[in-house]
Amino acid sequence: MIAGGGFERKSKASSEIPSSSLADMAFLLLIFFMVSTTFPQEQPRRYPWPEAEATRRLDEQRKNILHVYVTEGGEIFINDRLIPPAQVSNLIAPLYSENRQLLISLRADRNTPYATIYNIQEELQEAGALRLTFYTELEERITRERR
Amino acid sequence: MAILRKRSRASGEIPTASMADIAFLLLIFFLVTTIFDEERGLSIVLPEQGEEVDVSPQNVLHLVIQPTGVVEVKRGESPQVQTASAAQVSSIWRMEVSQNPNLIAAVKTAPGAPYRYMVDVLDQLQAAGAERVNLGILE
Repeated sequence: MIAGGGFERKSKASSEIPSSSLADMAFLLLIFFMVSTTFPQEQPRRYPWPEAEATRRLDEQRKNILHVYVTEGGEIFINDRLIPPAQVSNLIAPLYSENRQLLISLRADRNTPYATIYNIQEELQEAGALRLTFYTELEERITRERR
Repeated sequence: MAILRKRSRASGEIPTASMADIAFLLLIFFLVTTIFDEERGLSIVLPEQGEEVDVSPQNVLHLVIQPTGVVEVKRGESPQVQTASAAQVSSIWRMEVSQNPNLIAAVKTAPGAPYRYMVDVLDQLQAAGAERVNLGILE
């Protein structure tokens, strides 16, 4: 016996994937990336950084950080400008008086002679900016054992 | 007799079918431009300019870094010099500081030594929990 007199009720389930929520998903992701994006203010520079096991992540607001780039040849770049070594303190002193929380991130090539680095340390002391971070790459223990 | 007039089919609604496309375009733009630049490294606080602290010579562990990367360890006033590699510094520090908790590490690097040798030693000291570290230059 056939139920409903032979007229079967058709299933209303659609065989298509619902796409009406696609825009919502896309907007959610979009908002996430919009919020997390920061446009770099200076030209990215990549040198071979020194490696250190004790490398720690710093929770510091971006506005408090000043990057000081040093090439292997001892050239110093701050905010995309080449700074003569003796001028570093003159440049940093006003920045430090504006922001007492200033943190210097010293991003130097691993093969820079130490004399250059020490000169920058002295210039920072002269400017009064005493919070210094040596930018390093996290060294995995395995690479150290291999050496 | 009724006249069948053709009705205008223009909808009063804004078409939303292309909304996902617009959102994805913007999404791809932000995906490509995002960089998560995390700040990391070895942090120290420099002493103030002209600041001098009198430290008893017996509380100082001298670490002299030669241009070859060899570390010369001198304890206090003792004239004895021990040569070590940078990787041994943390165990040396741990051993010394267990005998003298007031110990200060005085790192002196040769002017011509590559910066990475100084970082190697500082890394070892920080890994061993040393907080009182002085960074100087070999004269």
